[in-house]
Amino acid sequence: MNIPQTGEIFEILSKGQFISSNSADHNLRKLYDIINDENNFDELCDYFQAINFILERGDEYFFFSKSEIKAELDRKIEIAYKWIDILDFLKAYDNSFGSNFRFDYSHMAGQIGRDVNLKDKLEGLRKYTGEGSYLERIKNLVGLLVKEGLVELENEITNQYKVVASFGYMERLVNSINIPNELQNEIPQ
Amino acid sequence: MLTFNSIKELIKSLDWSKDLLSEMFEKRNSFSYKYEMALEILEEDRIEKLIEKEVLRRNGAFLEIDEKYLQFFELVLEVNEQVSTAFIHENIQHVKESINYYLKENGSDKQYSYLKVIKSSLQKIGRITHRSIIDLNRNIENTFKTEPTYKVKIAKLENFDIKRKDIEFLIQQTEKLVTEEELTFFKAALDEELKRITNSLRIKLNEGRHNLIETQKQIINYLNQIKQQSEFIEKIRQIKYLRDQFELKSKTNFLEVLSNNNSVIFEPKSSYPLKLSIDYLQTDEAYQSILKISKKFTNGHKNIALAEAIEDFYLVTETEEEIFINLEEVKNGFMASGNNLYDFVQSYRFPKDVSFEERLTFFCQMISQYENEFNIADTYNKKNEIEFVMVYPKNN
Repeated sequence: MNIPQTGEIFEILSKGQFISSNSADHNLRKLYDIINDENNFDELCDYFQAINFILERGDEYFFFSKSEIKAELDRKIEIAYKWIDILDFLKAYDNSFGSNFRFDYSHMAGQIGRDVNLKDKLEGLRKYTGEGSYLERIKNLVGLLVKEGLVELENEITNQYKVVASFGYMERLVNSINIPNELQNEIPQ
Repeated sequence: MLTFNSIKELIKSLDWSKDLLSEMFEKRNSFSYKYEMALEILEEDRIEKLIEKEVLRRNGAFLEIDEKYLQFFELVLEVNEQVSTAFIHENIQHVKESINYYLKENGSDKQYSYLKVIKSSLQKIGRITHRSIIDLNRNIENTFKTEPTYKVKIAKLENFDIKRKDIEFLIQQTEKLVTEEELTFFKAALDEELKRITNSLRIKLNEGRHNLIETQKQIINYLNQIKQQSEFIEKIRQIKYLRDQFELKSKTNFLEVLSNNNSVIFEPKSSYPLKLSIDYLQTDEAYQSILKISKKFTNGHKNIALAEAIEDFYLVTETEEEIFINLEEVKNGFMASGNNLYDFVQSYRFPKDVSFEERLTFFCQMISQYENEFNIADTYNKKNEIEFVMVYPKNN
């Protein structure tokens, strides 16, 4: 084993976070390159396999899964519901909200004041954002995204955040839900 | 209508109006320029003069640069927003006409002037084609990145694709013109410069064609991305709807997807507490930490509320005595007495006062309990209205 960053990689991924290629953090980008190297990837896979973690490659990001996890189905449902609600809000804020998208929360909060639909969706997120002004709630929401490793603070002065590649995981999760055709027709436009 | 009398006059006018024109040119796409704003930069009579000469055009309260000049500036500065293919087409026609005149003309002077026109037009075609492709690419990228409305974005990109086809068609036309259609002319006009120009034009057209293939790829790529994005938006909308209607679990494969997904993201954040090594705990560094923790520990103790002392009277023991009759002892006395049981029980000195009824109860209890040790006779006796059986101790 001669990859000195293995511990660092484990530390991040075992918390359920991601390592993305377009991370704003130089160190994370470096870790991505290390894992992305074919030789390293195989070696890391074997290593983590031995301690029951499966190193998985997404579209420009890496994450951990296990052959069996402790989480109950109910917990998974709760988490999936949370992401559906949040994604629905973010896509309503900007259709192109996805990897490489940049935003600052003051703009987002401003947008809510102007858009009733968006405001309504934010109300639905109270469970995750808590109470407070729009700006505070948006801050909490962004904090949540940062904690999961889906967005990163790119510019401290302008408070600009960048969406990283791992956001694609959430999109993939939603895309993997299959709505039968006949049901699609029943959903109002 | 007043026009400029000479190029000198035109350039001079543009020179004194350069501040206003450059300001207006910069703002041409962002907002409508008001007449009053122009007054801040240039005197009124000069603005009027520009309007007279049709450099500027007044439109109600607004002022705009005349279309001719705007096009000229855009073309020269290579910043045009619109990709115009008509220009190339016009030039091709122009070349064709000039070739026609050239072949019909006998005078070499005239022929020479037509040749000059042809050469300049051919050069122009090359340059404009090249320019158009660059503009097209830039516009495609700008539209993709900045156009906020999805439907408009798609429509614009599709229009750019039509433009691309137009340019491609014109390239074909030009190539045909140079290589097939006007073969006679290109063979007849033995001019070195023409040859050079045609060659460089063909190289440029070739490059252009390759660039257009790339452009086509780009458009398809962008359209796909938009399609993917809009498909996803539709999907999330539908899923959110089902989730709000509580139908997501029952009507889709939602549960199946989740049961098969074993990503660590679903797990509670795990921590791995480790025991510290004894050696480390003995170092000075660890000592500080221990102090800190110990402080917390004692603080914790102080906070525990103590119960009050227990009152003395709770601790005094109270005794209650009750005398139990030991039937075994009574029986033993009876066995030794030789008396009959009834009389014995009646006269027995119990440790406490025992009523007549209780004595009767003991009598019955003893018979039932020690039946085997007693000799129960068939004879009966009667005392105080009570008839009882005669019971004696069994003689072994």
